[in-house]
Amino acid sequence: MGDPAVTGARAPGGARRTGRGGRGRGWLFLLPAVAVYLAFTVYPAVSTLQFSFLEWDGVAPPAWAGLDNFARVAAEPMLGRAVLNALVLIVFFTVLPILLGLLMTALLAGGVRRGTAFYRVVFFLPQVLPLVVVGTTWRWMYSDDGMVNQAFALAGLDHLTRAWLGDERFALAALGVVGTWIMSGLCMMLFMSGAQRVDPALHEAAAIDGAGPARRFLSITLPGLRREVSIAGVITTIAALASFDLVFVTTNGGPAGATNVPGLLVYRLAFNEGDIGAAGALAVVLTVLVVVFVGGIRLLAKEDA
Amino acid sequence: MPITRRRRHPAASAAAGAAVLVLTGSCAVLSTSVREDDVPDTVSTALTGEPVTLRLAYTDDPPTQALVDGFTRRHPGVTVELERTQFSDYVKTVKLAMSSDDPPDIAQYNTGAMNSLVPAGLILNLDKHSAAYGWEEAFPSSAMDPLRTDPDAERFGSGSLYAVPGSLSVLGVFYNRDLLAEAGVEEPPRTLGAFEDALEEVHAEGTTPIGNGALEVGGFQIWNALLNVTGDEQDYRDWVYGAPGATIETPAAEEAAATLTRWAERGYLSEGANATSDIDAQADFAAGGSAFLITGNWAAAALAEEMGEDVGFFLMPGPEGPVPVASGSSVSYAVSSQSDHPDAAAAFLDYLGSPEAARIQAESGFMPVDPEAAGGGGGVMGDIDAGFARVIEEEGLVPFPDYAAPGMLDRLTPGVQGLVAGVRTEEEFLGSLQEEWEGEHG
Repeated sequence: MGDPAVTGARAPGGARRTGRGGRGRGWLFLLPAVAVYLAFTVYPAVSTLQFSFLEWDGVAPPAWAGLDNFARVAAEPMLGRAVLNALVLIVFFTVLPILLGLLMTALLAGGVRRGTAFYRVVFFLPQVLPLVVVGTTWRWMYSDDGMVNQAFALAGLDHLTRAWLGDERFALAALGVVGTWIMSGLCMMLFMSGAQRVDPALHEAAAIDGAGPARRFLSITLPGLRREVSIAGVITTIAALASFDLVFVTTNGGPAGATNVPGLLVYRLAFNEGDIGAAGALAVVLTVLVVVFVGGIRLLAKEDA
Repeated sequence: MPITRRRRHPAASAAAGAAVLVLTGSCAVLSTSVREDDVPDTVSTALTGEPVTLRLAYTDDPPTQALVDGFTRRHPGVTVELERTQFSDYVKTVKLAMSSDDPPDIAQYNTGAMNSLVPAGLILNLDKHSAAYGWEEAFPSSAMDPLRTDPDAERFGSGSLYAVPGSLSVLGVFYNRDLLAEAGVEEPPRTLGAFEDALEEVHAEGTTPIGNGALEVGGFQIWNALLNVTGDEQDYRDWVYGAPGATIETPAAEEAAATLTRWAERGYLSEGANATSDIDAQADFAAGGSAFLITGNWAAAALAEEMGEDVGFFLMPGPEGPVPVASGSSVSYAVSSQSDHPDAAAAFLDYLGSPEAARIQAESGFMPVDPEAAGGGGGVMGDIDAGFARVIEEEGLVPFPDYAAPGMLDRLTPGVQGLVAGVRTEEEFLGSLQEEWEGEHG
């Protein structure tokens, strides 16, 4: 091994062998992950695509339906509103959390201060809680004698109190605020880790040049966070468009369909109505929508670069 | 460039080939299933005495566990393994379980699931057992009818029997005696007009008249209860069972919806009803937050425990006085057509109609299939027994409206929320119900 001549002589053939064997071994190492990925992600996705062309109730023999399910989904009057609602949720799940996350990062990342860890934990906590718990708790907080209204009453704003989730005009925004509360912590966490990557020397140099904390954040930290912002945008947009559990436990699409989202309609079609075909078609449409949005965000992030 | 193309081509076609393979592969698996034979060749009402193990999938407890215990005490040779699933997941799991290669022998009946399982021939046709045991006599027909359907499960209320009721429930009005007395309402109203007057008097007192959970089923159950006593019973049955040409767009249904809207406008419903769950509305009523609560007798045990003698119950009264028609459902059990022990499973169903089982049903807070076995006690249970006995006697138990189609619940709840919020008209509400009905039965 120590002999350079031997090693050198074996190098070309050896490289080819290890090249071939290495590739095989590589796949071997990948196998567990690939198997899990194929079984629980690719197979269900392909199955869903397949179901979307069938007329099937989940039990009886299915029949080929061609594009009927897609035609029905397109004609579904509730779908337009549901997609629109999901787009509104992007404002609350993506835009506001990114802005708030940046604000928190600006406040917390400007050097080591006492209590940073405490605030980080507090802001990140909503991410750790199961959404069902979060939803149930917020439902009570929003109820007509819940904490939100109590707070308004304390401030003398009695005329503003209402059952927030029961009011057609406010239910979606009220849900959105819960989303903002959940997602802001995640955004902050991503941005904080990104901000730590920025070379402190840049900050020092700028400070010497007389830049204040706001200037330094805008000119140094923010450009350094472009990748994190893009990732946060992707994650939260998917959460907004594919939202289901939060809506399911708080309003179940109500009142009167004001908070319907596509995910909820997929669930109802598949499990309440036993219409697997239409549910599959709607899921496919939703997936395409998500891909378009995520692709758009990635493209924007790239162009900025 | 051409090289790249040539090199890419095989990979692409391989991927496409794999996709086609996956598609055709799973299609082949799917299309092998055919309708199973669901009619038994022979039936026997005698248990062989040999040890038998039955598996039973269910969601409602009580009464299932107590009924199974009673049955196995009487037939020591039979062992029953219980498989319980939360209600919210039951429709999904029972469908999968009953269509699997190793289904449970007995499953608690669920309309949504049976709509798929009966046409697939996976549920045992019980006509022969019913004749052999004489179930027509043992069970009230208005409780059996919802469990009959044609082989395609398109029309209910007639046809072959696919399940047997193990206990019943009934929709009515709970009231808080103290709050009514405070408002000067001396006794439970006996006409719909008197009920509305009572709502007004309670409202004038500053008390919430009706506690309601319109986030879930509580909202449409008000409409449901009103329609029961104002509409034509047969029209309603025809609609729920899917009789050809039936419609819910009737003047009576519109009137019932308009009454609900009026009550909401006048502030007779609890504030924020649209965002309140049924269990929260019930808890609020138990704590004295409202004078009335329109729900089923399933709430009785909990309310009696919390409110004692303060709580009473009456059936929704009609315009002219009491009407013996009310919506209700049953905890029922069906048998798998793939079961190795259909006769032992049928023996369990038969046991459900026995006086002993009726006593167990009554003790677990349900209405027994035989009203004579009802507790006959006082308090709210006595009120319910009295009202329910009349409904059964007059064969006036009708299904809930969500029984009409699997997706009906998703029309009823938002529709009533729209009425309560004043953003949907009665015509729009009924139109959306009829649209769903046409999709299923039209």
